[in-house]
Amino acid sequence: MSLFRPLLLRALTMIGVFFVVLLLLVLTLGLTGFSNRILSATIGEQLRAERTALAETIRDPEEMEKVLEKRREELEIFYGLRTPWYYRLPRTVLRVLTLDLGEARTLRSFDGSNRVFDIVMERVPNSMLLLTTSLIITATIGIVAGTYLATQQGSWLDRFVSGFAAVSFAIPTWWIGILLILILSIQLRILPSGGMYSTPPPMQPLPRFFDLVQHALLPVITLTLVSIGPSMYSIRTITLNIAQEDHVNIARAKGLPESRVRLRHILRVAAPPIVTGLMFGLAGSLSGSILVETVFNWQGMGRLYYDALAGTPDENVIVALTFIFTLMYVVIRIVLEALYVFLDPRVRYTD
Amino acid sequence: MRRGDALRELLRSGPGIAGTTLAVALFVVALYVLLTFPLDFGESQWSNPVVWVDNPKAVPPVWTNALRRQPQPPHRVFEATEPDMIQMARSGPVHTWRFPLTYAASRPPTFLAVTLADVNYAERPPLVLISLKRPDGKQVRIFRHAVRGPREGENGPFQRYAKTPLRVQLSANEATVTAVQKFVADEFDLRLKSAQIGGRVDRILFGLPDANFADDIAPLPGDYEIIVQAALRAEDDTLGKVRFVVGGAVFGWMGTDSLGRDLAQGLLFGLPVALLIGIFAALMSTAIGTTLGIASGYLGGRADIVIQRMSDIVANIPVLPLLIFMLFIIGPSLWMIIVILVAFSWPGLTIQIRSMVLHMRANQLIEAIQSLGASRRRVMFRHILPQIMPYVLAQLIFAAPSAILAEAGLSFLGLGDPSIPTWGQILETGFRTGGIYVGYWWWIVPPGLFIVLTALTFMLLALGIEPVVNPRLRRGQ
Repeated sequence: MSLFRPLLLRALTMIGVFFVVLLLLVLTLGLTGFSNRILSATIGEQLRAERTALAETIRDPEEMEKVLEKRREELEIFYGLRTPWYYRLPRTVLRVLTLDLGEARTLRSFDGSNRVFDIVMERVPNSMLLLTTSLIITATIGIVAGTYLATQQGSWLDRFVSGFAAVSFAIPTWWIGILLILILSIQLRILPSGGMYSTPPPMQPLPRFFDLVQHALLPVITLTLVSIGPSMYSIRTITLNIAQEDHVNIARAKGLPESRVRLRHILRVAAPPIVTGLMFGLAGSLSGSILVETVFNWQGMGRLYYDALAGTPDENVIVALTFIFTLMYVVIRIVLEALYVFLDPRVRYTD
Repeated sequence: MRRGDALRELLRSGPGIAGTTLAVALFVVALYVLLTFPLDFGESQWSNPVVWVDNPKAVPPVWTNALRRQPQPPHRVFEATEPDMIQMARSGPVHTWRFPLTYAASRPPTFLAVTLADVNYAERPPLVLISLKRPDGKQVRIFRHAVRGPREGENGPFQRYAKTPLRVQLSANEATVTAVQKFVADEFDLRLKSAQIGGRVDRILFGLPDANFADDIAPLPGDYEIIVQAALRAEDDTLGKVRFVVGGAVFGWMGTDSLGRDLAQGLLFGLPVALLIGIFAALMSTAIGTTLGIASGYLGGRADIVIQRMSDIVANIPVLPLLIFMLFIIGPSLWMIIVILVAFSWPGLTIQIRSMVLHMRANQLIEAIQSLGASRRRVMFRHILPQIMPYVLAQLIFAAPSAILAEAGLSFLGLGDPSIPTWGQILETGFRTGGIYVGYWWWIVPPGLFIVLTALTFMLLALGIEPVVNPRLRRGQ
């Protein structure tokens, strides 16, 4: 029982998160009249199109108005504009909850599909290419350098990394991206400033791949540059805290070689929090980075979300994306919590 | 610990000194901005193109000339109300203004513009003439304007250009092009079509054209003089204000953006705004977080459960997408940004404060106070709060930079409050209008640097205050 009670509580919290987000979504869309505005715009557009089509057959303007008025009524019922938003929007959310993400109005996938699911599946790998790559680099350097720094506590290098980490927290990632564009691609002309492929994109698979890598380089450097300091610093601190515990002293007192102490007695204990941090990053990389993808014009999830809001607002995509973001976050959180219980035996005994 | 000791402790650490110095400097500048700038600066100045019309567009700051082999022409504005000289001619008094201009740059001015305002005349309209006297002794008339005469049914005295001054961009003015055409023909014996002159007016006026005109016109450095003459028809007629602008290729401390806006002003105004966002959002979220944390820890029971579940949920909401979503729908306003930031940022503190209060509740002092019959509110706010206050203060400072960075990010996505210029918005304009791709670094780098500097100031303060708050970290232990 002691194992599952906290887990159950966490799972319930996450489901709570999920519903609060959906509730906020529905309330914002409904209370501000935004949803109604989008629908009226859609209907207006359709009516305009029909008017030009009907102008061929119906000459009498009064007759025309009558027909159009009737058509408007039909459309309003069809789109649900006649039902108040607090009936209509929950229904949309319920549909999305059954993983039927619906169709986008203007956004299309690269091969022309308007199903939100298709669009999303196309974008997720793009986001992962940037964020997962940078995460792997950050984590590798972070673990190696962080555990090393823990042995050098108080040295100038250690102080430098601490300072660097503090500064990293004060720097907007997207601004570093802009700076790198300014220096590396505008002034020095070494790397492309944005986009995923050159125009025209190379057709052979190998040149195409290298082209993609070349374009991904700047955003990956940006993301890595800003997260590397905090990564090294936090792993250093975790390791340092464990290195001060009694069992490590005992291991040393037993005369075990230092490398063995570090690997078996420090890193083994430090693993669970580090792994959780990594998993979190991994979860985050699925949803992309709205700001960095905007700066580098990268067709990822973040950029998709921005496009759904900024261009011609697309209610279906907005609801679907917010749903997916939250769903991914919540599912991964629950999996992590479960995993953590098995990774770190201490969790089981403390409530 | 007494207050004086705390300050001394703060000033003993490197980050503490740096943070305090920076903070004082930032607040002094912010105060100066608040006292000297109009509070509606955003609407009345920044977003008002009329204010910036006489500035050169997208030029770097003046100090970049120090780094250049060939200095760029500076921006010069001549403005006068009283004439330098009044002569009597047969037609009436002639008012003359003389603007001396020493020109040393290798490039011609980016534009020439003249503005006339407040013309009053009794019967017949005055005539305004502007000539440029060059170092080689040649003089060329670049502007001739007859003020509009009386309209039908209009009675004198007549007023012209009172509300909307007359502004003429000479470089693009047809009459000026014709005048330059004649000047080149008379003085240099060059017959040119007006199409050959268009766009090179400034270059010809400030240079020496030679026979093979296709080559670059050699610049002519030296002492120029702009002579403005108003031929008035009666004693009491006036030309109230003359303004002549020689457009430079560098401007001010920070340069200009593509609308000619003085970036130094926008960046300065951004400082109090950023501080306001940071401090206000931090204050609000810390206040909510602390209150709920104390209540949750001290009251326990159902209140505790409700508050803990609530903060658990809010802490786990993916904020940025929701923030963007809500701002986009509700509409961008600075207060809305702050409110939403606050609404999602309190839970972390609540959870921490709760665990601190839980420890404290078992404290004998608190038990003693309770047994003396103190009310729960009194215990919470008179006895528990002061003890956790230093910690709360550190968290307060720590919360400010994240609010500043969040606002900058939102502004960069175009969700900033359009009536109040912020650093994020300046960056956004620079990025969206493509300023970055043509290398307008003075438009892109400083706003970001200021964001970093402000956020860093709070970070340093928080780092410096940590040993004060957390005695275990104090030096010598």
